[in-house]
Amino acid sequence: MNKPTAREGATPLRGRNIKTIVNAGLARRHAAERRFRWYGLIAISLGLAFVVLMFANIIGKGSPAFWQTYIRVPISFDAAALDPEGKRDPQALASADYAALVRAGLRQMFPAVEGRLPLRALSALTSSDAAYELQRRVQDNPGLIGTQQEVWLLASAAVDTFVKGNIDRSLPEAERPLKDSQIEWIDQLRAAGKIERQFNAVLFRNGDSREPEQAGIRGALMGSFFTLVVTFLLSFPIGVATAVYLEEFAPKNRWTDIIEVNINNLAAVPSIVFGLLGLAVFINFFGLPRSAPLVGGLVLSLMTLPVIIIAGRAALTSVPPSIREAALGMGASKLQMVGHHVLPLAMPGMLTGSIIGMARALGESAPLLMIGMVAFIVDVPKNFLDPSTVLPVQIYLWSDLPERAFVERTSAAIMVLLAFMILMNGLAILLRKRFERRW
Amino acid sequence: MAISHEAHTVKQFDVQLANLRNMVLEMGGLVEDQIKCAIAALDQEDLSAAREVIARDRIINGLQVKADEDCVSIIALRQPLGSDLRTIMSLANSVTDLERIGDSAKKIARMTLQMYDGANSPPSGKLLRDVRPIAELASGMLRGCLDALARLDVGKALSIIHNDDELDQEFQSALRRLITYMMEDPRTIGHAINVVFIIKALERIGDHCTNIAEHIVYLVEGKNIQQRRNIDMSTILTLAQDETEKGIKE
Amino acid sequence: MSTTAIDTQVALNGALNRNAPLRQSAGVQVTDYENRQTVGKITVDNPKMVCREVNVHYGQKHAIKNVSLDIGANEVIAFIGPSGCGKSTFLRCLNRMNDTIPTARVTGQIKLDDDDIHAKEIDVVQLRARVGMVFQKPNPFPKSIYENVAYGPRIHGMVNTKAELDDLVRESLERAGLIKEVEKRMLEPGTSLSGGQQQRLCIARAIAVNPEVILMDEPCSALDPIATAKIEELIDELRENYTIVIVTHSMQQAARVSQRTAYFHLGDLIEIGDTDQIFTNPRHKLTEDYITGRFG
Repeated sequence: MNKPTAREGATPLRGRNIKTIVNAGLARRHAAERRFRWYGLIAISLGLAFVVLMFANIIGKGSPAFWQTYIRVPISFDAAALDPEGKRDPQALASADYAALVRAGLRQMFPAVEGRLPLRALSALTSSDAAYELQRRVQDNPGLIGTQQEVWLLASAAVDTFVKGNIDRSLPEAERPLKDSQIEWIDQLRAAGKIERQFNAVLFRNGDSREPEQAGIRGALMGSFFTLVVTFLLSFPIGVATAVYLEEFAPKNRWTDIIEVNINNLAAVPSIVFGLLGLAVFINFFGLPRSAPLVGGLVLSLMTLPVIIIAGRAALTSVPPSIREAALGMGASKLQMVGHHVLPLAMPGMLTGSIIGMARALGESAPLLMIGMVAFIVDVPKNFLDPSTVLPVQIYLWSDLPERAFVERTSAAIMVLLAFMILMNGLAILLRKRFERRW
Repeated sequence: MAISHEAHTVKQFDVQLANLRNMVLEMGGLVEDQIKCAIAALDQEDLSAAREVIARDRIINGLQVKADEDCVSIIALRQPLGSDLRTIMSLANSVTDLERIGDSAKKIARMTLQMYDGANSPPSGKLLRDVRPIAELASGMLRGCLDALARLDVGKALSIIHNDDELDQEFQSALRRLITYMMEDPRTIGHAINVVFIIKALERIGDHCTNIAEHIVYLVEGKNIQQRRNIDMSTILTLAQDETEKGIKE
Repeated sequence: MSTTAIDTQVALNGALNRNAPLRQSAGVQVTDYENRQTVGKITVDNPKMVCREVNVHYGQKHAIKNVSLDIGANEVIAFIGPSGCGKSTFLRCLNRMNDTIPTARVTGQIKLDDDDIHAKEIDVVQLRARVGMVFQKPNPFPKSIYENVAYGPRIHGMVNTKAELDDLVRESLERAGLIKEVEKRMLEPGTSLSGGQQQRLCIARAIAVNPEVILMDEPCSALDPIATAKIEELIDELRENYTIVIVTHSMQQAARVSQRTAYFHLGDLIEIGDTDQIFTNPRHKLTEDYITGRFG
């Protein structure tokens, strides 16, 4: 019964030195391990490289869009031209010819310019929005009438592009959007310090526009906001209730199995199919308005529900059974058990799942194309039924346009979208870290 | 009976139990030999053999200490329950009884030395006549005991308890005879008392054997039959006392 | 040398089996492994719970087979047996915790005092308030110590005012021997306590609703010996007011805390009896094999 004999008898390795056997294979094992580490490292660096490339590209293209060129123009708010009757009648003020003021201002700066065509070229330096800008100012402050002001006016997209260095002045005149004379004026303005790049508030203030310098993402942002509100209000309560019922209350039988399989399948259905469903059911059958955030929200709810339900069920199953047993053992009813113990513990997980689902909904465009949220909409939507579009769709629309300024804005919109995505995911992580209980 | 013949899951436990049992049986054999030698020394008036018996008692005491230590360590390390617990308790108690039996053998040897020390005339043969049958009864019981312990034989153990009554009666009648001798010839009183001690020691051996037999019954059956026996013993003793008193009065 | 020792042992044990039948004086001795009848007296003079012919099926598996036993008032009864023998399953029948397992089916009669716990008029919520439970792993709610103890009285509506609740919480913690350790940290989470303290918190939580019976499912299996000793001492004190049923893997623990012991094997109640009798002189060979470590 003495041990060494027993061991030697039991092992076929008797008489061989375990140490040398193990050592012989050790180098190979270590090499395999090192190789594997390298594969992982290469994969990760590749992924990171792509991410960096993407961000660099987008930021490089998009960041200039946050700055916009303005021209300082002396404007004389001539009472005779604006308000010949002197009544300060808003109607009259609105219909006055502000474009003429802009033109006059520009001519004042370049008195040498003569002739119809050169003059038109001169006034093309400013955006068509310049006139509206003056109108807004006068309407806000009628006291301006009769005064002489220097006003920063929005430059046209071509000037903006040129100032940002994206137009090659060595190109033949016919191949670039700016004439030689215009370039000369710009140089003069620049020398006089009368041309300047300012923060592009227009981007966040305006809806879509055909003129790139006037196009903003406000409409799309509001559309996304309304849509997501609808999505969250619908999918979170329904999703949580479904998850709780299926996980805690439903009997385990064939029917619940079928439901479960279907929910899992729904999560994998291509999102455009939900768009078609929304079109058929909400718009054609229920007659809800097209392009409305309400319908968009409904469609996105259909899409996010399975995600929330699956995440919710996972969160519920991760609550240790000992807590359930403890509650039941105390004589808590099933609802008390769920309400007092299980749900509070599962909530961070459920919220995380929901936020990630919402982030996905925020980035979704395909189903919304189907329900008409792809329209060109200038007005910023004010409620759930106003026609609107959403950020990803806006990006899609802009990416189609050829102007250099729109390319810039596409990237800028992508940056805004990404910022929101990161914000939402960050919130999810924060929630999980904050409320996750250790037990 | 509720003792399993299956091996323990922990094999070392089986080994320890077997070792303990072997040690007790070895000690029993030694004690048996001691009695045989002590009686032989008395028979043959062999003083050196008697001294040897006295010397060898140390070995038995040593074995007892060792066996007790083993019992304690098994209890501490294995926390025995059920039959294992009973085995250990019975063996531990039996060891004590065996050691006492060894002491009895030593006492006989000592009496032998005292009687044949040469200072007095040796005792007459009739005084010692009763020692041999009583000694045979006693060592028979011890042998039976060890046998029953080795085989965990309850039937044998019970028959030993029964045998003790016979030994007691033999002792009583021997005692009565010695009293008669002493009354007849007061000069024999000195030797007679030594002989009384010897047969008393043999009678004690019977009692210890009875105890061991009881331990065996407890080990196997889980029943303590000692209580009932004690009552029997006390009645027997009272009866014996009465007899003796009667004898003295006569 | 050791091999010889084992041989001797086997020979000794072999000799044993050849013995003639003994003269019997007390009780039956069962030497037959196939005999699955319960050995020992299942009834008590003063029963708190009476179980008769209880059967539990988990789907196809017959987990508890015809078990009948009484649980005496103010006694600690221990259920022992190898893993999977059904002792925990049987324990969970006593407060119908098996109801939570969809495939479990319990038949037979279980009475608490004179009420059949499966009767329609006994709601499971009421039953579990009367028969509390302490689990293997300390499972305090992830709430404060105070909230843990206050939970039961609160959901059952046992107190009306905050002051009453405070008193009840204090008293329960006191009876669970925890008050000194947690007095100053009532609002800290229950999970911040040590394992043994958590288990005593769970006991405090269970006794806060003043149950009649407390079921303990291996309450010390996750604890160190000192925490175990404290729980055992607590069990002994609680016996004065409650009836306690304890499932344990430790035979020493069963021996230390219980007055009666029941041995389960493969769903059968093999033997039941006074604890000292079970552990010194079991009557069934299966019990003997189990307690002496000869199992399997």
